[in-house]
Amino acid sequence: MIKAELLGRQYGNIYAVKGLSFEVKRGEVMGLLGPNGAGKSTTMKMLTCFLPPSSGEAWIGGLSLTDSMKVRRLVGYLPEHAPSYHDLDVEAYLQFVGKIHGVPQGTRQDKIKEMVAVCGLEAVVFRRIDELSKGYRQRVGLAASMLHDPECLILDEPTTGLDPNQIVEIRHLIRRLGEQKTVLLSSHILPEVEAVCDRMMIIDKGELQALGTTAELSKQAQGGVLVSATIQGDVERFMAQLRPALPDIEVLHQKAVEDSATHVEIQHPDPECKLAQAVFHAAVASGAVLLEMRNERASLEDIFHQLTQGGQAS
Amino acid sequence: MSVIFALCLKEWRISLDTPQGYVVSIAFLLASGFFFGNNLFLYGQADMRHWFAVLPLLYIFFIPAMSMRLLADELHDGTYELLITMPTRTLDIVLGKYLSLLGHTTLLLALTWLYPLTLLLLGNLDMGVVLSSYLAAWLLAALFSAMGLYASSLTQHAMIAYIVGLILLLVVFLLTQASPTLPIVLQDWIALLGPINHYQNMLRGVVSLADVVLFISFTVIFLSLTWFALERRRWR
Repeated sequence: MIKAELLGRQYGNIYAVKGLSFEVKRGEVMGLLGPNGAGKSTTMKMLTCFLPPSSGEAWIGGLSLTDSMKVRRLVGYLPEHAPSYHDLDVEAYLQFVGKIHGVPQGTRQDKIKEMVAVCGLEAVVFRRIDELSKGYRQRVGLAASMLHDPECLILDEPTTGLDPNQIVEIRHLIRRLGEQKTVLLSSHILPEVEAVCDRMMIIDKGELQALGTTAELSKQAQGGVLVSATIQGDVERFMAQLRPALPDIEVLHQKAVEDSATHVEIQHPDPECKLAQAVFHAAVASGAVLLEMRNERASLEDIFHQLTQGGQAS
Repeated sequence: MSVIFALCLKEWRISLDTPQGYVVSIAFLLASGFFFGNNLFLYGQADMRHWFAVLPLLYIFFIPAMSMRLLADELHDGTYELLITMPTRTLDIVLGKYLSLLGHTTLLLALTWLYPLTLLLLGNLDMGVVLSSYLAAWLLAALFSAMGLYASSLTQHAMIAYIVGLILLLVVFLLTQASPTLPIVLQDWIALLGPINHYQNMLRGVVSLADVVLFISFTVIFLSLTWFALERRRWR
C-alpha cells in the first residue's frame, strides 16, 4: 500500500531523511519510531505530498507521489499537534473538510455523524474548536482525517497530549481502523507502538535502523542470551562449574544480596547455547541453591536505545 | 471549483463570525461615515467627491487588517499543511481566499450606498458620476485586496502581514501624491501606471477601458505573486 524507495529529503546541506526504503502492506499498522529530529515528521510530510522528496521515490496504493492529486485523495493525514481552524465549531470544520475532499452532499452529513460517533465527539459538536481541550482537538483532527474514508491513514504522533483514558480509546480506535485500512503512525511512546502496531521501523538521523515485529527486533538487537539468576551458596564454586561448559560467558553484573545469596547476570553471544540449562546444572554440581532464574528478553526500550545511540549492547 | 467555494465560504464565515472580522468592518464604516458627513454641509453640495477622494486612505488602513490573517494564520497554525495535503491546488487556495476577501470589501462598499441615497433625498445628485466612482472604488478595492493577500502570503505573523500590506499600499498611494516632486520621466510613468491616478480619472465620471484593464491586470499580477510565494514554500 505504501512503498518508499531510497526516499530522501535535504534541507540545505543537511539530510533530514536519507535513503529510506520500506513497505507497508494493506491492512497493516506500521509504527515509525525515532528520537526527536530523526526525520519522522519529514517522512510523513513527503508521503502526504506536503514536501517534495529531494531524492528517491514513493508510491501509495500503486500511485507515484508525483500523481499528487490522486494520492492525496487516498490518504488521510493528521499532522503533528493536530492543527485545525480554531474559529470554527466542530460541525462547521468537518463540513469544510468534507467539501474540500469532495464528499458528496447527500452522504456528507451521515459521514460526519459517523465520524463524530467513532471519535466520541457528540458532546462538543457545536462548540468552537478553540474552546476544546487538547484531547478533543486531537480527536477532531482524527475525525477530519478519516472523513473521506481514505484507504491509508498517516498519523503524526496521534496520542500526544491525551490523558491515559483517551490514549487507550485512541489506541483501540487505531487498532480497529487497522483491520480495514493501512495505518502509518509515528510516536516516541514505545509501549504504545508495541501495543498498536503489527510492525515497526526505527529511524535515526534520517536513516532506517531496523524494521520488523517486536519479536524480530528483539532478537536482532540482543545478539545473544541473557540470564539473570539469584544463587544461594558459594558463587566462586558455581562459576568454576559453569565456565568449563560455556567458556564464552560474560558476567555483566554480580551483587551480594541478603541470606548469603548472590544476584548474577550472565550473557552468552550464541542464542542457541542453552545457557539457562547450563546455569541449572552448574548450580546443582556446586551444591548451590537456585532461588530465581529468568531469561531476559531485550525490551523495546533497550532496542530503541541501542539503535539510536549508535552504541553496542551493554 | 467546489474547493474554491468551500474555502471562500469558510473564510467568509470566519471574517463575519469572529470579533477580528466585525470589529474591522464596524471601524471602517464609522470612519467612512465620519469622512462623508464631516464637511458635507460645509460645502452644501450634493456630491461625494470628497468622500471618494479620502476612500483610498481608508482602504490603506483597513484592507490589510482584513487580509492579514488569511494566509499568515494558516501558515502559523499549521493548517496550511492540512490544506495542502487535501486535494487542493495552490490556485484554488489563492482564489478561495481572494474571493472571500473581495466579498468582504464589496459588502462594506455596498453598505455605503446609504450615502448617495441620503444625497438623493437632499439634492440633485449626478448618479452617473456616483456610479462610475463606485466602479472605480470597487476596482481599487479589488487591487488592494490582492496586494493585502500577497503581503499575507509572505510571513507567518499576521501583524507583520498587516505592516507589509500597509507599506505596499502606502507606497502606491504616495507615488501619486509625491509625483510632482519626482523627475519628469518618473512622473510620466506614474501617470501611466499609478492606480491612484487612474482612480482619480474615473472619479470624473468617465469609464475608459484603459483604466479598467489597468486595475484588472495589476490585480492578476498580485494574485500570481501570491501563488508564487505559496508554491515556493513547498521547495524550501
